[in-house]
Amino acid sequence: MSATVTAIEAALFVFVIATAVVTALARDVLSSIIVFGAYSLGMAALYTFYRAPDVALTEAAISAGVTTVLLLLTIAKTSRMNHEAVFERVDPTAALAVGGLCVVLLATVTQMPTVGDPTAPVYANPDVTGYYLENTYADTGVGNTVMAVLASYRGFDTFGEAVVVFGAGIATMLVLHREVFS
Amino acid sequence: MSDTPGAGSDVDDAAAGSGDASDAPDVSDRPPIEPTYSGHDDRPHLSQIQRQQTPYTESQVIMSTVKVVAPFALTFGLFVTFHGADSPGGGFQGGAIAAAVVLMIAFAFGIDATREWFTNVVVVGLAVGGVLVFGGIGLVGLVDGGTFLEYARLPIPHPVKYGMEGVEILGIAPIVAGVLVGLFFLLAAGFDDRDGAGTETEIADATTDDATTEDDR
Repeated sequence: MSATVTAIEAALFVFVIATAVVTALARDVLSSIIVFGAYSLGMAALYTFYRAPDVALTEAAISAGVTTVLLLLTIAKTSRMNHEAVFERVDPTAALAVGGLCVVLLATVTQMPTVGDPTAPVYANPDVTGYYLENTYADTGVGNTVMAVLASYRGFDTFGEAVVVFGAGIATMLVLHREVFS
Repeated sequence: MSDTPGAGSDVDDAAAGSGDASDAPDVSDRPPIEPTYSGHDDRPHLSQIQRQQTPYTESQVIMSTVKVVAPFALTFGLFVTFHGADSPGGGFQGGAIAAAVVLMIAFAFGIDATREWFTNVVVVGLAVGGVLVFGGIGLVGLVDGGTFLEYARLPIPHPVKYGMEGVEILGIAPIVAGVLVGLFFLLAAGFDDRDGAGTETEIADATTDDATTEDDR
């Protein structure tokens, strides 16, 4: 990555990393969930910066909104512990493992193409990305390439995904021993 | 919504709930539930009975805010769904936003009150109807001698564009909205370990741990 990170991006990065660490370390589950919602909102803003508004919308609606609500509902049904410490004790072995993984992952960052680089493999691939970008409007008549890929070029996959979502609802009913949703 | 349900009103709700669940036999004979929380021996802050009931605190601030925000949020969700072909968004995102509106209303006005108008028929109708519409649009091409989801064979003008819109608006969005609201209702209702689990929203187990309730007040 080049050094053209704007101040807002840098602030978002710091916010996302800080909220991620607090989510992992907070002793109180309720605090963890609230901070996790803030983390998701930060990620949604970051996705918007990197020109992925479809992903950002999903992240904001599903992760920051619905998942937070579902997690809150779930812990509302458990016992809440009376904590004196704000943060968990950090297990040295776990910290070492996570730190090592972070180092390995960060080492790959320098090899990644710059954001928006036209020669990056994902753009420069004429058989897939290039084809979609050039022919989407002629083939399907819609302007949003992401939606054209989802609903038309990869429509069968999307049908499977939609049925998976449907199946998730059924599976939750089975697990909770209920026969109706409400 | 995230306020701690330790107030006295929740205990009253819990007492009312125990009356509703009276059809469950011999709950009083069971031993009190010991809250289990692996790895820590801290004492529970709130009793099991308060936590098993989904707490609802009526708040004028939250209700007023939701009344103002909900129409705009629902409109945004519909816009994201219907305009997904030419701008960011689509059925998945729009359906999730629309479901989030229902969740918001449920937190402001109570989950049981929301269940009364967003009934099981609506939830199931959205989820099942969405799958059927998606599959049905896909099968049209197959019946016509083409392949699955071959939009060009739909008997409508601009078949590819409107076929995709139909899949997004009438297929994916209802599935996502229905399932998300359904998951919310399911989690609010909780686990039912009685035989023939039905529509009761209260859990029979919640009627046991009275002593702890007194301690916490």
